[in-house]
Amino acid sequence: MPKKLDIQPGTLALMILRTLDVLGPLHGYGIARRIEETSEDRISLNYGTLYPALLKLEQEGHIAAEWGPSENNRRAKFYELTPAGRKQLVRETKEWHATADLIAAFLAPKREEAP
Amino acid sequence: MRQLRAAWARVLGLFTGHRAAADDDLRAELESHLEMETAEFIRRGMSPAEARRQAYLASGGLTQAAEAVRERRSIPWLEGLAADVRFAFRSLRRTPAFTIVVVLTLALGIGANTAIFSVLRGVLLKPLVHRDGDRLVYLRHSSDAPTGASLAFSVPEVRRFRAGAPALGGIAEYSVWFHTLHDIGGESIRVDAGLVTGNFFEVLGLSPVLGRVTDAGDDGAGVPAVMVLTHEFWKERFGGDSGVIGRQVRVDGGSATVIGVLQSAPFFPERVDVLLNMVISPHHTSAMMTEGHTHRMTELLARLAPGASLDQAQVEASTVLARMKAEHKESYDAAANHRVAVIPFKDVLAERAKLTLWLLLGAAAFVLIISAANVVNLTLMRGVRREQEVVVRAALGAGRGRLRRLFLVENLVLTSSGAALGVLLAVGGVRLLTAIVARTSPRANEIALDLVALGFTLLLALLLALLLAVVSALPKEGSMGALVAGARRMTGGPRRHRVQRALVVAQVAVSVVLLAGAGLLTRTMLRLADVDTGYSAAEVLTIPVPLLDPSRFDPATDVLNKERYERMRAEIRALPGVSEVGLGSTMPLRTSILSFDLKVDGKPLDVGQAIPSANLRTANPEYFRAAGIPLIKGREFSSTDIAGSGKVVIINETFAQTFFPNEDPLGKRIAYTGDVLRFTPFDGEWRTIVGVVGNTVDGGLDAKPQLVTFLPFAQEVAVMGGFVIRTSGEAGALTGPVTRIVRRIAPGVPIENVLTITQIKEQSVSPRRLNAALLSSFGILAVLIAAVGIGGVLAFSVSARTTEIGIRMSLGASASQVQRMILREGGLLLGLGLAIGVGAAVVATQAIRGLLFGVAPHDPMTLALVAAAIGVIGLLACWIPARRAARIDPAITMRA
Repeated sequence: MPKKLDIQPGTLALMILRTLDVLGPLHGYGIARRIEETSEDRISLNYGTLYPALLKLEQEGHIAAEWGPSENNRRAKFYELTPAGRKQLVRETKEWHATADLIAAFLAPKREEAP
Repeated sequence: MRQLRAAWARVLGLFTGHRAAADDDLRAELESHLEMETAEFIRRGMSPAEARRQAYLASGGLTQAAEAVRERRSIPWLEGLAADVRFAFRSLRRTPAFTIVVVLTLALGIGANTAIFSVLRGVLLKPLVHRDGDRLVYLRHSSDAPTGASLAFSVPEVRRFRAGAPALGGIAEYSVWFHTLHDIGGESIRVDAGLVTGNFFEVLGLSPVLGRVTDAGDDGAGVPAVMVLTHEFWKERFGGDSGVIGRQVRVDGGSATVIGVLQSAPFFPERVDVLLNMVISPHHTSAMMTEGHTHRMTELLARLAPGASLDQAQVEASTVLARMKAEHKESYDAAANHRVAVIPFKDVLAERAKLTLWLLLGAAAFVLIISAANVVNLTLMRGVRREQEVVVRAALGAGRGRLRRLFLVENLVLTSSGAALGVLLAVGGVRLLTAIVARTSPRANEIALDLVALGFTLLLALLLALLLAVVSALPKEGSMGALVAGARRMTGGPRRHRVQRALVVAQVAVSVVLLAGAGLLTRTMLRLADVDTGYSAAEVLTIPVPLLDPSRFDPATDVLNKERYERMRAEIRALPGVSEVGLGSTMPLRTSILSFDLKVDGKPLDVGQAIPSANLRTANPEYFRAAGIPLIKGREFSSTDIAGSGKVVIINETFAQTFFPNEDPLGKRIAYTGDVLRFTPFDGEWRTIVGVVGNTVDGGLDAKPQLVTFLPFAQEVAVMGGFVIRTSGEAGALTGPVTRIVRRIAPGVPIENVLTITQIKEQSVSPRRLNAALLSSFGILAVLIAAVGIGGVLAFSVSARTTEIGIRMSLGASASQVQRMILREGGLLLGLGLAIGVGAAVVATQAIRGLLFGVAPHDPMTLALVAAAIGVIGLLACWIPARRAARIDPAITMRA
């Protein structure tokens, strides 16, 4: 089993937004499964992490929630990206790339020094 | 913007209806998640039960998740606050003894400090109401002579200061004189009047609230007499009537026009009711007043010139005095070291109240400190008893932060209850203290509950709550499992123990200091009450009857007055039960305002020797028997000692011992001397000593014996008079009949201070009694708090060592050995506290030297008694936990 990673602060919101962007309206279980699968099971989300994050995004108006029937005819709460959430996703993605580049640039020289 | 929206959503989340619905929604959502997960596991081939279990494990706990979401949903600390407060009240109610002790000690500490600081600020620290009050100074002229503590100035001296001390920008003259105002609300009243120069109000920076005050135009002899009412007098006697301006008021023989009402302001050295220009007093405009270099009865108040410093003013004033001493050698006794001090007016106003107030504030602060220490200790101990509760809460999901918050709210409830009660106490305390302080400070009416002090003490309560929450026993993060599993102690580490012990030692030490101070003041008071006044006090009524204004005397009036005195005396003598009626100038225990320089026939003074001065009192033949003053030698006055017969005098024992140590004073002659005599009805003729009477203590029970001369009442002008009535019945019961006689024969004479000798004595003791009582209550409070502290710490120690004691006992230690062990532990703390306390008390009590009488600041007897008392109380407090330790059943403790 691959080593479990801690979720970096702020990244979970980005993962949720991206998941909803790719898959469309989805319930909490679906979001959790999708994130765990994408991470190749290096991340495991318990409810205590996921649902406060969803609530926060909802409070900020980035996502909207609605009850509806699930694929096997259960009732489930579906989350959907709002226009504001879509903008936020674009902005955060850009920021994240910038940050990742910066960190990469920072860490690069050391690898060259010590072959 | 987004944050704002989220915050708004959270605020909405606070409301209960919303919350219940959201909770249902959340539960359904989490449940649906769990079901989907379970279905997935089943699809992968697990049994339904196993699938459900695995799904649950993966969830990380539904309750915890729901709690996490709830915290996100609203503002949890606010939402939890009400619950926490409710919980705090419940939990505090469960431990009533703890709660009551903590709330009461805090309330007393906070109440006393706020009250005393309020008074202290009003009386000592607050800026004066006078314009630029910090530029005002009082000049004190003093010398080493027995009566030289405050000599005042003569008008020629004042002129020299005006001319020679430019640093004093304005110098106002002020002298207090009695006057009788007639027809004020239908009666005649005796008032204390300040006779002032026109510039007085200008110099002091005081304004009228009505009408005008005096100015330079009101100086001199040929101007109309004018009167300014003090604010208090105006309110009290004229009901604040603004129509009073312009009114003519009969003052003694003359009359004055009311020109204004002054703003409320403190006066020094004496409070006055009205202020008049000098012209009202023939004495003040006479040559003796304006030209007599030693006729010192004027107080000087001055304002520092712009840019001038206090030091400059002091130097200039001292220079002026030195020059006068050189030029007028006859007016300054070289041996008596005449000096002048320039004192800020604010300081001089605070002079008498200062020491007592700082003392009380110190005591109250000490009490606050040890009560705070006690609260900390009690909380630490309570924490031990609550370990189980804390462990259970932690196991049920309360995080460390949540627990801390719980404790903080609990401590806040505790300390704020104490603070609230403290504020109530402060309000009452300020009233009580104001009444007390009014006796020693002219500024008592400026006292108000001080908001700064209140804020400060409330802040202290808050800080204490924070401190308590920090010291409260909390499990370390991650140690929860071990705690639940049964490791029983999480508190009682050696470090915490040391803090508690140090606090207890400090408490005991502070109690010793406080109680030592209280003990000294109490002994002072007892000594004072025990002072042999020289009078025999049983059932003697005194009533001053001032028929004559001391500033006017003429032979015709005197004859009339003496007739009236004699009629009153005869009628009082005829009252049932009256055995003696003394008639004299001065009532027992009061000082005579008459004091003259003196010479003794055949005993010339050595060069440089200070001129002695003696108190002058007049007395009729029965006076000594009525007042109970014993005749030691010679005779009392007789009915033949009258005007025209040989001048005689009776001296007191001190006088006899001072001037006739080894000879018989009877038959020797003395005479009054000095310029001042010219302005009084007394002459400088030789008077023959016919008797020696016992010493009396007059003008305060701690007064030193003075040289006293008694003259026959009938032989001198009756400048003052009053009756001393001895009865076989109850003296107080005579007040009515005697007052009626006086009113009938001398209508219009103000009647005040009709008191028994016992009551006059009590007036002198009662301020000390109050001081002693206040400090004693602080001291006793401190001792009780310290006792609770030491007993509590031992109890804590016993409960922490239960297992150890159980092992000791099962290994053969007897109950009494265990008891001794615990007692020794307490005794050590107690002994250490006592030793430090006694040491500190020896130093600290030096500060109250000025308040003591008849007892040394380091009085070994007081210290020993205090140490013994605290030792006994402390041991009693130790004994309770020691006994509990001895009762420990090893079988139970070791199994637990």
